[in-house]
Amino acid sequence: MLALGLLGCGRERPRFEPGVAVVLPTQSATWVRNFNPFLPTQARWPTPSGIYEPLLIYHTLEQRYVPWLATGYRWEQDNRALVMTIRRGVKFSDGTPMGPDDVTFTWQLMKEHPALDSTGMAKRLASITSSGDEVTFLFAEAFVPGLYFVAQAPIVPKHVWQSVADPVKFANETPVATGPFTEVRSFKPQVYELGKNPHYWQPGRPHLDAVRVPAFAGNEQASLAMIRGDIDWGAIFIPAIERLFRAKDPAHRGYAFQQVEGTVMLYAQTTRPPLDDAEVRKALSLGIDRARIVRIAMQGYTRPADASGLSDFYRRFHDRAQVAALGDWTRYDPEAAGRLLDERGIRLGPDGRRHLPDGSFFQLDLNCVVGWSDWVIAAELVTQGLEALGITAKLRTYDFGAWFSKLQRGDFQLSLGWSTGGPSLYTFYGRQMSSSSLRPLGQAAEYNWQRFASPEADRLFAELIKTADTAEEQRLSRELVRVFVETAPAIPLFPGPAFGQYNSRRIEGFPTDEAPYVALAPYKIPGFLLALVELRPRGMPRRPDVLGVLGGPSTSPSSSPAASSEGAR
Amino acid sequence: MTQLLRRLAFYLLSAWVSLTVNFLIPRFAPGDPASALQLRFQGRLEPEALEAMKRAFGYVDAPLFEQYLSYLAALGRGDLGVSVSYFPAPVSAVIADGLLWTVFLSGVSVLVSFALGSLVGAILAFRRGSLLDAALPPVLTFLGAFPYFWLAMLLLYTFGFKLDWLPVRHAYADHLEPKFGWEFATSALRHAFLPGLSIVLTSIGAWVLSMRSNLLATLAEDYVQLAVAKGLSPARVLFRYAVRSAILPSVTGFGMALGFVLSGSLLAEIVFSYPGQGYLLYQAVKNQDYPLMQGVFLSITLAVLLANFLVDVASFALDPRLRR
Repeated sequence: MLALGLLGCGRERPRFEPGVAVVLPTQSATWVRNFNPFLPTQARWPTPSGIYEPLLIYHTLEQRYVPWLATGYRWEQDNRALVMTIRRGVKFSDGTPMGPDDVTFTWQLMKEHPALDSTGMAKRLASITSSGDEVTFLFAEAFVPGLYFVAQAPIVPKHVWQSVADPVKFANETPVATGPFTEVRSFKPQVYELGKNPHYWQPGRPHLDAVRVPAFAGNEQASLAMIRGDIDWGAIFIPAIERLFRAKDPAHRGYAFQQVEGTVMLYAQTTRPPLDDAEVRKALSLGIDRARIVRIAMQGYTRPADASGLSDFYRRFHDRAQVAALGDWTRYDPEAAGRLLDERGIRLGPDGRRHLPDGSFFQLDLNCVVGWSDWVIAAELVTQGLEALGITAKLRTYDFGAWFSKLQRGDFQLSLGWSTGGPSLYTFYGRQMSSSSLRPLGQAAEYNWQRFASPEADRLFAELIKTADTAEEQRLSRELVRVFVETAPAIPLFPGPAFGQYNSRRIEGFPTDEAPYVALAPYKIPGFLLALVELRPRGMPRRPDVLGVLGGPSTSPSSSPAASSEGAR
Repeated sequence: MTQLLRRLAFYLLSAWVSLTVNFLIPRFAPGDPASALQLRFQGRLEPEALEAMKRAFGYVDAPLFEQYLSYLAALGRGDLGVSVSYFPAPVSAVIADGLLWTVFLSGVSVLVSFALGSLVGAILAFRRGSLLDAALPPVLTFLGAFPYFWLAMLLLYTFGFKLDWLPVRHAYADHLEPKFGWEFATSALRHAFLPGLSIVLTSIGAWVLSMRSNLLATLAEDYVQLAVAKGLSPARVLFRYAVRSAILPSVTGFGMALGFVLSGSLLAEIVFSYPGQGYLLYQAVKNQDYPLMQGVFLSITLAVLLANFLVDVASFALDPRLRR
């Protein structure tokens, strides 16, 4: 062994070819060759947008759609029909042209196989038809928020997929696709490499020859590689990132924590007193020191949420002045919290504890997931805040399965949880306070675990899904923000950060603090595609991009002062 | 020979029992695959799509006994099912690759540890009372008592990160293709060195000490004294007379160690990002990937049984008393 070691000694630096970028978008101990783009978490990065491509890309930072395989869209027939104009001159990587037929075929495939329809959009479509360069998606009922999901689904070639017997189990080991990187140059359990598409439709792009994706068993190994400079573009949780990562080479290294993920919420099950009372929920919220949670549990990588619960993903609807005017109950104000509770008859007894009007202790259990350390610390700080109000609060941690089952069945008093949604507030708030997302207690609910429905919000939702007019959408969305702030269906804690790091010693063109042209996180589907075609070996001149700006939602930042990209550092 | 056949029958019975336990344990574990799926998708999958996925994964709500029968039937065909976490790859394909590297890494490490440890143990026993004998056993016990994880991290940090002498991750350099040849072989050896060293360092002490104490007892035996009195060379006495019988308990232990090769390198594989099957097992348990878990357990079980059988054969060869 010793002799072997001596033989093995001597430095073996990882070998970098100039045109190959090493990317670490996700962590896995080992790779299995699977380039099926329809299964959101099974597919190998960058399958859904990188190997395959969407029609349009929703640009999270600029809050608009970027034309991609489609050059534009419009709504027709009272906003029931979404018409996409398919780009001419796009070829698949085997040289065959891509056209409207491939688009209709892809959606038919999703209709036939519900397992492929991960967004549930195909089942809302009555028909998908093409004529000329246009494809018409006819919704059974007007559903404008569906644009996001239709726009971003990957388009597969009909001439390959029509002969696939079972597309759900199809591993698609050698993909034929339109994206910038389609050629599997090498695939090993510890690393794979995708070469550029020889027929890519954007002239001169991509600038890179290939992207290489290594496998790492744990965060420690990945951090070590990022810090050593073995990775060009990563999404790794590195504690004290400024000191441990950036300080090693400030001229080339950068990172960002854009707050564009869903907001982490404190959910209160709203069917039983006293938590059925919005004022009591607001009182709990006022007792929580979010700045402390962000500093301790999240290492300062995000910011406290306000009462709207909107992260920067919803920047165009987020008006802090509006939220402040409505009375932001997410500030830290234990005295106001105490007054609110007193008003509701939940008073401090001589024992220093709060009692319900019937004399019993005000006791709350807060559920969290074992091992999700940032959440557990946040939950611990929440219970400390509640205890300080005189509420008897206990943190209960469960395995994910047990925790999630309790959450879904409504079997909890307080619980931490994530929130999800597309760029329309119909999807975000709809999952928080619409009666259509409401399920009976005891039945597993996909969303709306708190069991809250607002008739006023329902009326707004009904209008919102029918309108494609941006001014009208703004008006309805402001109303929804008002309803959410007034009724407190959930208690927002902090927006989830999308994190990414880059090292531009060998590869340049990353979204930087000065030019954050897209979120830096390399796993943010499909936005990272914009960066993927932009990256180039250091020193190579940048070729101009061919895409114009698409009409649609306004590109100007909303009236909110929070609209600056304060997440990027 | 009949002895050997009897052992073989026993191993077949053990194999069946372990297959059955292998089937039952994941099903009695807390949690269920459906919620594990939810965890993987975190609200990004519509309920209908999730239902369809479950059907594609082959989740059935059949009675346990029916599941058991179809499990046995599939095993008979060599079909280990489809992995959930690596869907739609078959379990056998997911395991095969990791198995190879695990066998290489921990197989070689255990062999080296056993051979080197027994040799050192023999020398220490032969030179009992010497300075070496006084110094080495405490040091080795100390090393063996180190938490493995910590020792491995220390090696990685010192030799891989700070001194930059050896690669710190993966089984071979990322730009190489696995093929026979000098460049690939040296790269694989280099990459196996640190994880291998960590396994050897933590396990060698036990071999040294067991060999040393066995040999000390044997060296006091009359037949060894006789051999010495006959004037045979010390090396001949040591290896032909004493070690041959003193090594028997170690061989039994070696069989156990070989069996655990497949599971025992889990920590080494995590620390060094080594693409073996130890980490696969961890992931399978975390994701409640029943088929993958069963496949990994199956390979471990079979390895333990096979190793023990080989030890039996070796014992027959070494110990004439068993052959009677």
